[in-house]
Amino acid sequence: MVLKAFFPTCCASADSGLLIGRWVPEQSSAVVLAVVHFPFIPIQVKELLAQVQQASQVGVAVLGTWCHRRQEPEESLGHFLEGLGAIFSHEPWLQLCRERDSKFWSCKATYQQVPTSPGAHSEDQVMLIFYDQRKVLLSQLHPPAALPDHQAGDATASACGLAAVFDTVSRSKALFRSDQFDEGLVRLSHWQSEGVEASILVELAKQASGPVCLLLACLLSFISAASTCRVFKLWPLSFIWSKLSTCEQLRHRLEQLTLIFSTQKAENPSQLMRKANMLVSVLLDVALGLALLSWLHRKDRIGQLADALVPVADRVAEELQHLLQWLMGAPAGLKMNRALDQVLGRFFLYHIHLWISYIHLMSPFIERILWHVGLSACLGLTVALSILSDIIALLTFHIYCFYVYGARLYCLKICGLSSLWRLFRGKKWNVLRQRVDSCSYDLDQLFIGTLLFTVLVFLLPTTALYYLVFTLLRLLVVTVQGLIHLLVDLINSLPLYALGLRLCRPYRLAAGVKFRVLEHEAGRPLRLLMQINPLPYNRVVHTYRLPSCGCHPKHSWGSLCRKLFFGELIYPWRQRGDKQD
Amino acid sequence: MTCAQPVTGTTGIRWQKVLYERQPFPDNYVDQRFLEELRKNIHARKYQYWAVVFESSVVIQQLCCVCVFGVIWWYMDEGLLAPHWLFGTGLALSLIGYVLFDLVDGGEGRRKSGRTRWADLKSALVFITFTYGFSPVLKTLTESVSTDTIYAMSVFMLLGHLIFFDYGANAAIVSSTLSLNMAIFASVCLASRLPRSLHAFIMVTFAIQIFALWPMLQKKLKACTPRSYVGVTLLFAGSAFGGLLSISAVGATLFALLLVSISCLCPFYLIRLQLFKENIHGPWDEAEIKEDLSRFLS
Repeated sequence: MVLKAFFPTCCASADSGLLIGRWVPEQSSAVVLAVVHFPFIPIQVKELLAQVQQASQVGVAVLGTWCHRRQEPEESLGHFLEGLGAIFSHEPWLQLCRERDSKFWSCKATYQQVPTSPGAHSEDQVMLIFYDQRKVLLSQLHPPAALPDHQAGDATASACGLAAVFDTVSRSKALFRSDQFDEGLVRLSHWQSEGVEASILVELAKQASGPVCLLLACLLSFISAASTCRVFKLWPLSFIWSKLSTCEQLRHRLEQLTLIFSTQKAENPSQLMRKANMLVSVLLDVALGLALLSWLHRKDRIGQLADALVPVADRVAEELQHLLQWLMGAPAGLKMNRALDQVLGRFFLYHIHLWISYIHLMSPFIERILWHVGLSACLGLTVALSILSDIIALLTFHIYCFYVYGARLYCLKICGLSSLWRLFRGKKWNVLRQRVDSCSYDLDQLFIGTLLFTVLVFLLPTTALYYLVFTLLRLLVVTVQGLIHLLVDLINSLPLYALGLRLCRPYRLAAGVKFRVLEHEAGRPLRLLMQINPLPYNRVVHTYRLPSCGCHPKHSWGSLCRKLFFGELIYPWRQRGDKQD
Repeated sequence: MTCAQPVTGTTGIRWQKVLYERQPFPDNYVDQRFLEELRKNIHARKYQYWAVVFESSVVIQQLCCVCVFGVIWWYMDEGLLAPHWLFGTGLALSLIGYVLFDLVDGGEGRRKSGRTRWADLKSALVFITFTYGFSPVLKTLTESVSTDTIYAMSVFMLLGHLIFFDYGANAAIVSSTLSLNMAIFASVCLASRLPRSLHAFIMVTFAIQIFALWPMLQKKLKACTPRSYVGVTLLFAGSAFGGLLSISAVGATLFALLLVSISCLCPFYLIRLQLFKENIHGPWDEAEIKEDLSRFLS
């Protein structure tokens, strides 16, 4: 069996000494964590190991000896090193040796007590794998996604081995705490032995984050307590809140901020990553919002917008009037029922008339409203976009009304026609058995049913045309709103921190490792360099996606077409309650 | 066929048509008695010519109904027939028919169905009210649809009415509901072409009388007083022919030819073709369960 020895590259130039690490018997691999230099007192080494073991719950032990020959080979050192095996007994006992010019390495693993041939030292083949301790310590290994069956067994076994190595290194931080400037009893060599890596800014931020979090958490709890006030739960208000996407977005942000500034510590790396992602997303959102705010308030753009808004709304209403007048004639040469056509057309025209007068009533206040709405951009670009979506919804309320009238009328006709068509054939829908049964109707039922059927059949094209036109208008509005929601969702759910990490520090998010052969000669141990494979971008997004507020439509295309055909109402939003079932 | 050779049994073993005994014959062996069980034409019936002619009168009646309806509609459309007059006549005939309906079988059918006169009155009220209420809608219903489309639709629907009508045959295609609905649909289509809403109302009322009520009375007349039924049929056919003659001579001639061929030629042909019938039955037929299974079901 091949024995794998994981050796940190930073220890390659260390002085001779003892190898400290963990032995993983399942993988028959030895993970070297540090080198203890001469001189040392064995008891103190053992004490240090016991402390580390208690702190990190990793079975750290002395694995063998490390010999770095700078001058002529000294026979005595070799014997001494062999003798150490008797003090720190370990199975197997590793003997790593590096020649002067760093070209030649030798490695032996010996078992002192082998039952088959007692007394003799048996040797194993050793594979030397170098790893960058800093990168492995900081990186987070992502287990591979599910593979096809025939590869799965192999892949999971190797993934387990890798995970053990990564886990060992990341958990033995206690070992790396001492550096060469410490006046410790034992001198170690590892990645931080040149000096502890830290930054003043980070330390200051760590110190300051506690009180800041506490303060902000208090503030947020006040806000959330105010928002759950009983006044806002009354019937019409709660209904309006649930329909406005701005409220949904604000609630979503409030939840996120509460989570970010909660005083509890993140338990695992994924939770920490989640918090960081949320924080970065909120910061970016606010930054974009401030940029928008500064753009809006320069050169009186709000006033220009307000002046443009009323003519646009007027224009839309005018176009709708033209459309209705076209429909009331003979649109595209279709055979419409004239009476019904006139009735529907006048009804809708009256609506538009009402709408225009409403807009003109509102027009003096629009600038002030827009100015206040513009201020909300400092809460974030997403909030501003949600408000824009709501404004669009409010300004196209007449289209929505038309659509609802048209859809209800059309739905009524379709339902009536389908059941009357069954009556026409002498059948009926059996609700108990969920099927169409034959049924004998009375004469008067048949007569009235057929009369209604004839009327509905001849009136259907008129209703269907109105429905079609207003549905197309509605779909246009829904598409615009859907695009805005998509943008908001993108900002909400994109894991920006994780993506930034992947861009600047690819090793932090590891998908796996790859090995590069350093030396492969007969009679010498195989030397490999372990490099970290970064996680692909799509998996980063997939793994660290933040939950969005769920305001986007969840229809499939088929069900959407079905709903459109049967005249059921379609909405761009889904309520929170619907999402769960 | 060598395989079918019997083992010329000197012992005189008779072949039996059973599978549970081992016999010295090949599997496909049959003996002389095989064709003894052959039967021919056991379900064929001998028809009497005049009986068939009498039965065909149902078809004649229905054809005449459609014809009379078309003729009346034409008169209304041309303005030759005042709607009041048609309404009055229809009402009088309906009342007569209503009285006859009970008189013919002495109230037997009414007692059996348990239908009260109050229910009849309610039905009549429903017909009148709904038709009257909807008649302005009906008038403007098909304004924008072209007349040819309406004619084609009506012809199609009336043909459907004739095809699906319950002439007494026991077939899957028969559906009296569908047939009646198609007739009403056609009448509504045609009524919407008439000049005023009163015309439409009276046309639809007339359609109910002729397509829904008249066949019910006919059925009863045919069952109870066959003689008067023949008379009524002849009278009805004659009036349909006369009405059609006043519109178009060619149409009337064709209609008369159709009636004659259905009532005289078709029965004659049916009886002639019965002679060529040759159905064979025997033990090779599929098994048929003759016993009444209802006692197992209960």
